[in-house]
Amino acid sequence: MSSKKVKVTDMSNNQGQLTELNQADFLPLPPPYDKLELEPKMKPLTPDQRQRYECDLDGIAAVMIPRPKTEEEKKVLVDKFLSGLTKLFNKEDNWTFIQALLLTMEYCAKCQTCSTACPIFEESGGKEIYRPSYRADVMRRLYKKYIKPGGKFFTKLTGDDIEVNWEMIARLAELTYRCTLCRRCAQTCPIGADNGLVTHELRKIFSQEMGISVKQLHEVGSVQHIQKGSSTGMTPLAFKDNVEFMEDEVKERTGMEFKWPIDKAGADVLLLHNAGEFLAWPENPEAFAIILEAAGISYTLSSDLLGYDGVNYGLWYDDVQLARVALKHIETAKKLGVKKIVLGECGHSHKALTVIADRILTGDYNIPRESSLTLLADIVKSGRLKLDKSRNEDIYVTLHDPCNVVRLMGIVEPQREILRAISPKFREMTPHGVENYCCGGGSGFAIMPNTNFPDWRHSVAGRKKLRQVLDVFQDVIGPEHKKYVCAPCSNCKGQIRELFSAYGVFERCNILYGGLVELIVNAMTDIEKPFLEWDWH
Amino acid sequence: MGALQYFIYLSVAVLLLGLLFKAMKIARMPIHLRWDLYPIPHEKGKGHYGGSYFEELDWWTKPLKVSLVSEVKEMSKEILLIQSLFHHNRFLWFSSFPFHFGLYLLVGYLFFLLLGAILNLSGIVIGATSESAIGVTTHYLTVITGAGGAILGAIGAVGLILSRIFKGELRRFSVKADFFNLALLLALFVALLISLVTVDKDGALHRSLAGNLITFKPMGEMPSPIPLELFLAGFFFLYLPFTHMTHFVGKYFTYHKVRWEDHPNLRGSKIEKAVTEYLGYKLSWSAAHIKPGSTWAEAATDTSPVTGEEKKK
Ligand code: SF4
Ligand code: SF4
Repeated sequence: MSSKKVKVTDMSNNQGQLTELNQADFLPLPPPYDKLELEPKMKPLTPDQRQRYECDLDGIAAVMIPRPKTEEEKKVLVDKFLSGLTKLFNKEDNWTFIQALLLTMEYCAKCQTCSTACPIFEESGGKEIYRPSYRADVMRRLYKKYIKPGGKFFTKLTGDDIEVNWEMIARLAELTYRCTLCRRCAQTCPIGADNGLVTHELRKIFSQEMGISVKQLHEVGSVQHIQKGSSTGMTPLAFKDNVEFMEDEVKERTGMEFKWPIDKAGADVLLLHNAGEFLAWPENPEAFAIILEAAGISYTLSSDLLGYDGVNYGLWYDDVQLARVALKHIETAKKLGVKKIVLGECGHSHKALTVIADRILTGDYNIPRESSLTLLADIVKSGRLKLDKSRNEDIYVTLHDPCNVVRLMGIVEPQREILRAISPKFREMTPHGVENYCCGGGSGFAIMPNTNFPDWRHSVAGRKKLRQVLDVFQDVIGPEHKKYVCAPCSNCKGQIRELFSAYGVFERCNILYGGLVELIVNAMTDIEKPFLEWDWH
Repeated sequence: MGALQYFIYLSVAVLLLGLLFKAMKIARMPIHLRWDLYPIPHEKGKGHYGGSYFEELDWWTKPLKVSLVSEVKEMSKEILLIQSLFHHNRFLWFSSFPFHFGLYLLVGYLFFLLLGAILNLSGIVIGATSESAIGVTTHYLTVITGAGGAILGAIGAVGLILSRIFKGELRRFSVKADFFNLALLLALFVALLISLVTVDKDGALHRSLAGNLITFKPMGEMPSPIPLELFLAGFFFLYLPFTHMTHFVGKYFTYHKVRWEDHPNLRGSKIEKAVTEYLGYKLSWSAAHIKPGSTWAEAATDTSPVTGEEKKK
């Protein structure tokens, strides 16, 4: 079947894979990746995987849903899906989003304006199934048929009918993991409909009703987070060990010797990092510690369960898990008696705790939450750090705007104020700020390693970001120039790490990625050696 | 009074009640979790680049700065010019803009007809040669909005129908109802235009019909194109509340209650009060990690079924 002509009703057909992905169809990249053979190859699923997992959407099995063996099993799953659909439109079960969802269900004008905004649709060369409104139209037909009074009759009359079977539902489950929830589409919609929200709500049916979610988000993610203290599996004891290790490393790298505050009751600030930083990019929490110590901020880290891991994967697939984790974070802060929680360089923990969870935090749970970018900008502007921007002179820097912090929270300028103060060769990507593109790792993608999904993530979801990075550095793209993508978000860094590694971007173009605080510390005159260890990336 | 007149009363009543019902239904839903999307124009001094109060250190200790002027400016550009389409989908804007602007003019036409009818009742003559300035102005505004609205609306409707037929991405997503809606409006615009051109060049007949309608006097005999036009208008009013064409109602909420809704949940606020009630709602989700019958407050604090093992046993 030609993928260009796929229609919404084709979701229910039983003719196997709906869309073939051919890398030659994707939009060509700028130099030095302007030849298809220079791109990493996308691996097809093995015959065994194809047989075991649902992959009839596009040959990718991100969720790894086992194929039901019998028609009875399929029927049970279909019934469960439909009961979840009903709950999504029930005020008690879904007070959290029902109003916004209903608006999106009722008022789409099918103008396709949103398609122009979606990096996944665009970069895939316009695959119909990735169109923002495609997924939403499936959902809207379901809403009209099963939720609206007389729906089964009226949808036949209006032409909005859709056949519901397991084939359709299985494809839909996968399709909810082909959208990063960046909500760029919603920004352009003349009606204000929100196809990102549709993805979010659909994922909730699968998780909250059917128990179907991506293992890394649920079991390894939020469940492990609640039970062990961190989605990384890091226990409080391991966290303390890590801090000791990082204290030593700071001493070694900078000559600065100081104890990091842990569980300091009465501190002004509880600093909440993404625990992934401690393991993958310890230089980031180290740079935070150096800056806060030098600026004399009264702060503490916490070694309580969840108190040292600010992630909240529920944000992407499950409201109950979201609420559980958010409350635990607040309880940690309450116990320490801090004045505010400051979120480290992690976009989704910013949005989860500051914005999304805001309305479940009543009474004394309503402890103020703030972005570290705001605090850091204040520290830099106040002159409390001795900074010399010429120390960053040999590095061309661009800024990646994490969707969760920028488009979804409106924190745009603080990070730029800092970069203007510490980086003489700072330049903006096009577009940037609230119009910037997702890194391709949003909504959990960055931590999803299943089957051939990472290939799709590099080649499709991350393609726009790679293009933006190559474009912004095109005049200095050769490896003789040092270049840095400043990505103040753990999740984005995770995606950029994988993306750059798949394309060999560091080796070929000498482009490094990292956080913002590392660049600040690199400009601190109190520290002799450069903090950024270029060759040890 | 004839059947057509009753039909018009009925359709107007259904329209008004339908719109009210729709708006109330949305407005009375629980306050959702925050789902802001930037730029938000009312963020004073920050709206133009998409900034928010979260950029301020200790923002909760400072008064929220709101610029209603910026918000109204942005709304006006969106409502009058449909700027989102202009920027992101210029092709469709060339049809959608005249279509919507035509509709706005026709709403204006209805207003001027009613105004004229009321002025007439109070003895003011409406017409190009009227001695009253307001009579002359109302006359011209009626003619301009009526003819202008019908012409622009018809051009836009034809453009939209053709786009839906010939542009693949629109055709694939269009259903019978979408074509029916556009065709209905096109028929209405054309019928009005024919009436205006053939039997009611200065709009006086329409005005007297409006006068009869609001004073509940029989509309009486009408020349031939007018009953068809009135029937189409009545049918449209009757039908509109049941379609997504009421998106002008929805758009108020999607912008003001979702995208631009950035009210923080402050202690002792209305939001907090409402949420406290919602936390008592019972959940019926069936996945293993959610205890059946628990309230939101219980589900969020009791993490015992977190793995779902209990339920599976
Ligand atoms: S979601 Fe908005 S932009 Fe997309 S098709 Fe619907 S109305 Fe148009
Ligand atoms: S939220 Fe982002 S990825 Fe998802 S459909 Fe919209 S633009 Fe595409």
